[in-house]
Amino acid sequence: MTHRDRLHLWGLLGPVTLFLGVFFLIPLLTIALYSILTPGLYGGVEWAFYHWNYGRIFGWADGIDEVFEPVYLQILARSLGLALTTVLLCLAICYPVAFWVAWLPQRWRMLFLFLIALPFFASLIVRLYAWLLILKPSGLLNTVLLATGLISEPLDLLYTPSAVVLGMVYIFLPFMFLPLFAAIDTLDAALIEASADLGAKPWQTFLKVIFPMTLPGVVAGSVIVFIPAVGNFIVPDILGGAKGLMTGNLIEQQFLSSRNWPFGSALAMVVMAVVLGALTIFATRAKKAGGAA
Amino acid sequence: MKKAIVLALSCLVAGTAARAEETLALYNWGDYINPAVLTKFTEETGIKVTLDTYSANEEMLAKIQAGATGYDIVFPSVWMQDIMVKLDLLEQTNINADPAFANIDPAFLRSKEDPQSSYCLPYAWGTVGIFYNENVTGPIAGWDDFFAIPQKTGQKITLLDDMREVLGMGLIMTGHSVNSTDPAELKEAADYVTAHKAEVTAFTYESMPLLLSGDVAAAHYFVGGNMFFVDHPEIKYIIPKEGATMYQENICVLKDAPHKEAAQKFLQFYLRPEIAALNVSQQFNGTPNRPANDLTPDFIKSNPNINVPAETLARLQIFADLGKALKLYDRAWNAIRTAQ
Repeated sequence: MTHRDRLHLWGLLGPVTLFLGVFFLIPLLTIALYSILTPGLYGGVEWAFYHWNYGRIFGWADGIDEVFEPVYLQILARSLGLALTTVLLCLAICYPVAFWVAWLPQRWRMLFLFLIALPFFASLIVRLYAWLLILKPSGLLNTVLLATGLISEPLDLLYTPSAVVLGMVYIFLPFMFLPLFAAIDTLDAALIEASADLGAKPWQTFLKVIFPMTLPGVVAGSVIVFIPAVGNFIVPDILGGAKGLMTGNLIEQQFLSSRNWPFGSALAMVVMAVVLGALTIFATRAKKAGGAA
Repeated sequence: MKKAIVLALSCLVAGTAARAEETLALYNWGDYINPAVLTKFTEETGIKVTLDTYSANEEMLAKIQAGATGYDIVFPSVWMQDIMVKLDLLEQTNINADPAFANIDPAFLRSKEDPQSSYCLPYAWGTVGIFYNENVTGPIAGWDDFFAIPQKTGQKITLLDDMREVLGMGLIMTGHSVNSTDPAELKEAADYVTAHKAEVTAFTYESMPLLLSGDVAAAHYFVGGNMFFVDHPEIKYIIPKEGATMYQENICVLKDAPHKEAAQKFLQFYLRPEIAALNVSQQFNGTPNRPANDLTPDFIKSNPNINVPAETLARLQIFADLGKALKLYDRAWNAIRTAQ
């Protein structure tokens, strides 16, 4: 590499590196640092080492100022469960739909992709309030069901765990759909034909040819949905009535009403570690599965 | 974010006689000042007013502590004002030296750190009680009746999504101070709330539209909620007979306010009884300005749950800062919210 090339490279990479450094790395390091400092009485931190933030979560605490409670890990487990449910439901809905869209004539396809992206034009909060209006006892859904005689009393939909799952699936659907569609759209039809010609039954073709080829899309979609789903606190608040505490709510609470930024930071670090761990395992498995096919 | 997730709403109140670029930047709770008050201020002084909103004292504190916000005036609760004085974030305005300060009822000089009001001007106060649809629930008097509604009528009730308010209610119902720092008392309070969790359909700040549409029958909410029910006489507000919490916010000028002179003018403006009364007529809360109370509309003046008589006042409690003991509340609140 000549001197000039190197300059060139720096010119190209410099701004991106600077951007990531400022807006990604520095906040992350701040959180990591705060998580081992003493909580300030009025929010913020005092600059003294303090390991009880993690002790409260993992089981060592002095029992006086800081108390260990298994509840934090339980809340994390529940959030992971909700995120996983969201991923699986999004996948189950998007996979067949992505095929259907990929097989539509070009102009219908464009319309459909536009429709998928349409919700992004409105604020997430507004869209969730719209769901509140749909699900409430006097809401649209119950009104329609009552009018058609399918039910005789309004269903209890709002402020239930199902409403939370519904809201989560709703907001994350496009994030699953787009990478899946990209993978499915580029499938080579000749390979599917070849598989049939060589005597594979349709389900064999699907399992051995189609699914492995769309796997990168499945993995990408799952990861993009899973990560933000673990930390989401707006859906459990608005559609769940804040009755089940999720990790995101717990962290938010530490930075606001509980004024314990270091504990909030420690919780955030634990979530990050768990999610990273889960994704690493997932990615290695997926790679092996993909490689074997 | 508390939970209205009020997006920072910048409303420029354009002045009719807008002199050059004199401005005043307010940072207030959402829906906590009558826009007509700001319009009038601009009309009279030519000072343009911008308004950003927050939904939690802590949210405001964090932003001010981060520095250089460009805000001139904030509206902290009294306990938060105490913290802000200690942290040296507020400007000494000597508003108590203004002749019109005699309008302020001395009972509202509640700040421990600012007992003479040399920093902040007492702004407004209110109660946190129960809204209910009388057609559905019949008359109710307090928390016991409130929690009995789901059993009795099959209808739903909501509590606020607020750690201090919900635990405060639990502490009141178990006979303790809402500022208790005794772990045993807090446990009793949390157990009381948990025992009633099954009756509660949601912890939320968004209950007022649901009450209006008939989706819930009763809700724990601030007296200011009355502004939604002017045309709905069936929806009533009560201060529970067992006791309730009250709040008071004061108008404070920030130490690093860029427009201190304009801020001082606003404080003086707000000392005028007709201005405080104009605010109450839309906000439905109480004012520390004594002569203003006589200028409020009749439907407010005659409502004992809004214009609170002394015997009701006696069963109200106000929050104090808890310092380190806040951790006890955090844990109790987590226990309530994770209880199945």
